[in-house]
Amino acid sequence: MKRTRIHISKKRLFLTLILAGCMGCMVMYWKQKSEPVVLELGIFAGSNWDVANANSYVIVDKVIARFEAEHPGVKVHYYSGIQKEDYSEWYAQQVMQGKTPDVAMILAVDFDKLAALGILENLDGMEAQDKEFRKADFYPTALQSGKYNGSQYALPYETVPTLMFVNKSLLNHEGFMVPESDWTWEEMYDICSKVTRDLDGDGVLDQFGTYNYGWLEAAYSNNVKLFEEDGSMANFTDQNVTGAVKFAKRLSDLNQGQKVTQDEFDAGCVAFMPLSFANYRTYKTYPYKIKKYTTFKWDCIALPSGENGDNCSQLDTLLMGISKQSRHKELSWELLKMFTYDEEVQMDIFRYSQGASVLRAVTNSKEAEAILAEDMDDREQVINNTLLDMVIEQGIVAPHFNGYNETMAYAEGEVDKILSEDKNVESTLKIIQRNVNTMLKQ
Amino acid sequence: MRDKRLRNVQYMMLFVNIVAVLFPASLICFTTQKVCSFFHARSFIGKLDALPVHPTVILLECIALTSCIVVSFVLREFVFTQRKYFVYLSLCFDFVISIYLMVLLNFNYNGILFWVFANIIYHVQDRVKLIFVLLAICIYVGTNQEFLMINYRLYSMNDYIDYYNASIQKYMLGGYNVLISFNIIIFIVFCIYVIQKQQNIIEQVNSLYKQLSEKNGELENANEELKQLADLKEKMGQTKERNRLAREIHDTLGHTLTGISAGVDACLTMIDRDPQATKKQLELISKVTRDGIGEVRCSVNELRPDALERLNLEEAVRNMIADMKAVSKAEVIFVCEPARLQCDEDEENTIYRIVQESLTNALRHGKADKIWVDIRKRDSVVHLRIRDNGCGCKEMKRGFGTTHMQERIHMLHGTIRFNGENGFVVEADIPVRWGKEEQV
Repeated sequence: MKRTRIHISKKRLFLTLILAGCMGCMVMYWKQKSEPVVLELGIFAGSNWDVANANSYVIVDKVIARFEAEHPGVKVHYYSGIQKEDYSEWYAQQVMQGKTPDVAMILAVDFDKLAALGILENLDGMEAQDKEFRKADFYPTALQSGKYNGSQYALPYETVPTLMFVNKSLLNHEGFMVPESDWTWEEMYDICSKVTRDLDGDGVLDQFGTYNYGWLEAAYSNNVKLFEEDGSMANFTDQNVTGAVKFAKRLSDLNQGQKVTQDEFDAGCVAFMPLSFANYRTYKTYPYKIKKYTTFKWDCIALPSGENGDNCSQLDTLLMGISKQSRHKELSWELLKMFTYDEEVQMDIFRYSQGASVLRAVTNSKEAEAILAEDMDDREQVINNTLLDMVIEQGIVAPHFNGYNETMAYAEGEVDKILSEDKNVESTLKIIQRNVNTMLKQ
Repeated sequence: MRDKRLRNVQYMMLFVNIVAVLFPASLICFTTQKVCSFFHARSFIGKLDALPVHPTVILLECIALTSCIVVSFVLREFVFTQRKYFVYLSLCFDFVISIYLMVLLNFNYNGILFWVFANIIYHVQDRVKLIFVLLAICIYVGTNQEFLMINYRLYSMNDYIDYYNASIQKYMLGGYNVLISFNIIIFIVFCIYVIQKQQNIIEQVNSLYKQLSEKNGELENANEELKQLADLKEKMGQTKERNRLAREIHDTLGHTLTGISAGVDACLTMIDRDPQATKKQLELISKVTRDGIGEVRCSVNELRPDALERLNLEEAVRNMIADMKAVSKAEVIFVCEPARLQCDEDEENTIYRIVQESLTNALRHGKADKIWVDIRKRDSVVHLRIRDNGCGCKEMKRGFGTTHMQERIHMLHGTIRFNGENGFVVEADIPVRWGKEEQV
């Protein structure tokens, strides 16, 4: 009699356990289904290009409003007020706590790590599935910056090429015209050698050719590829590198060991300086144009081409990616596409941001040209679309591999020593090559 | 049946595994909070090769899964102990859970396998135990994190430990490694226990088998002895039979021949004086002779005196006495109490033969002319007393007759005494099996 009772209670216990498990699963499923879909968006306030930006959230808010209208029942949420300098940390915290935003802006410095850690979704599949999406519409260089190990992990949102700031007043005063956009190293050296001089006769140079123009800028315009794409090898002994370093050394030798500072540049005593397109746009337009470079006339052209290269310069791109953990990947893809592939949104970059669109059609459009011309004085020579298109198209994108930032920092330091300590260029580059290769292998 | 030590080892192993599973999960969860609150997240993930998707969820899942394992253990060991299918089902369940746990923890801890396999080894048949031990070791080696990291991106607990300062790192790593080693040691101890237990059972079976074969040997020996005994008994039986025949010959032929010789002697003395009486006497001798022939026939036919065949003991004795009186001058006084004495055949034979032998002796050796024969039965013992007034004998010479008498009595567990000081007295006590006196 007792046995039977125990037997029944055991069965009941077992059934209760199973039933409880099923109920729990069903409740969780219903709860998940009934909740509205919320896409988390990771963005930061201010400009990616370290220039002032009053219209931080304008584009984002417009995109969200449009996206929510097009996708009823979907909300897009973002945390406002995260500064760019805090963004890396904020994003890393979200990643660590398992709260990675579905769609987020990816800073160039973080991209490699995030792609390597598998936090970003590989977009190759989504790109292939989406019939409306054509990769060719993007600038290949901009797209390249979102690639890791041959796969697309992020799409470019906004891009900024590097231009050459030209002090028009100084050149005119010294009897030079602003160079054409296809100018060369030698033209640049010629101007620099002539403008570098002691104006007041105190034996100290007080007018200079270049500021901030280093061997790397020279190398980019001399068809140099410092690293293999996968980071397996460095190419510091390439003759183009040697040429670039030697050219940078010649330029720096003009200054007779004197260090040029930002103050001297701001005072209008320097002829050339590499400047980002974002800076150009910020300080060329109202209201910021009254803040800087007000004592002289200036303009921007492409960087001079080297012996074996073109008028190329570094291209900085702000990327956007999708979290691998996102539970709404299709919606995330739609949102990402709206940010990066929608011509209207991309046009807004010219309107409200300081970069350039990553879509060829937008950057080349008349509308974009009109926007660029809008805020400038009529007398100013406006940077035209053709130049912008060219520098973006030819832009140099830093390779993506683990340890790029560290090895590059080391190499830059070592090459700078050649310039400042008067070392032999070839042999030092060989040493650097060896050391960098060792670093890469580790 | 269930070994208490084994049970304790199981408890210990379960506890160690729960701690070892929850330690990495909670360490990662706690460290994540700490890293975030100190704003070290970017530099921290910069050093990682992989990181867990959701540390809090992982911790909660680990707690849930270890609870599942505990519940499965309790149900298996205490509730559904007799249900074989449930036991196997729960072992499979444990295996799946442990795989899920290892994946969840990215193989930071794979010792949970030992827990699963310890239980499998405990429950499965003896023969496949060893296979499971090997399987456990293979999977344990195969799920080694550093080995898997060659091909897969796995987050490592050590990266999280590295966040702390050196002294705390030492304690954490040291403590955890001790825990892992301890788990392995417990597993080994457990396996040894289980295998030892199995060994004990085998030894027990072996010793039982040994005992059985020993007993078998003893039985065979006993059988052999019995056979020998049977042979001996057969021989003894033959000897007995020979003795009996000798006795019968002595008793019947001797008795008859004595009677004939006495009768013939009487005839010799009488023949001249009274031929008529001699004739009568000779007729009597002829009768005795015929009786003797009958008895001899009986002996040859193995059985008892002819008289006893036909008559009861008292009558047979009376008949014998009458025959004796007829051939000799001796006077025989016969008393028998109770009148109808009921005994078994062998007892009757013995009594009859002793009376016959005593009478023969009294006539032959004692030359007696008066003989008293008393047969009395008291309390299931027959007292036999034959006394004569003959010359007796000062020193007893054991003849064939007395020896026979003794043999016969001993065979019935009785006693016999001879006394030749005043005439000759034979006294015998024979316990009889037929206890009851028959009602007349």
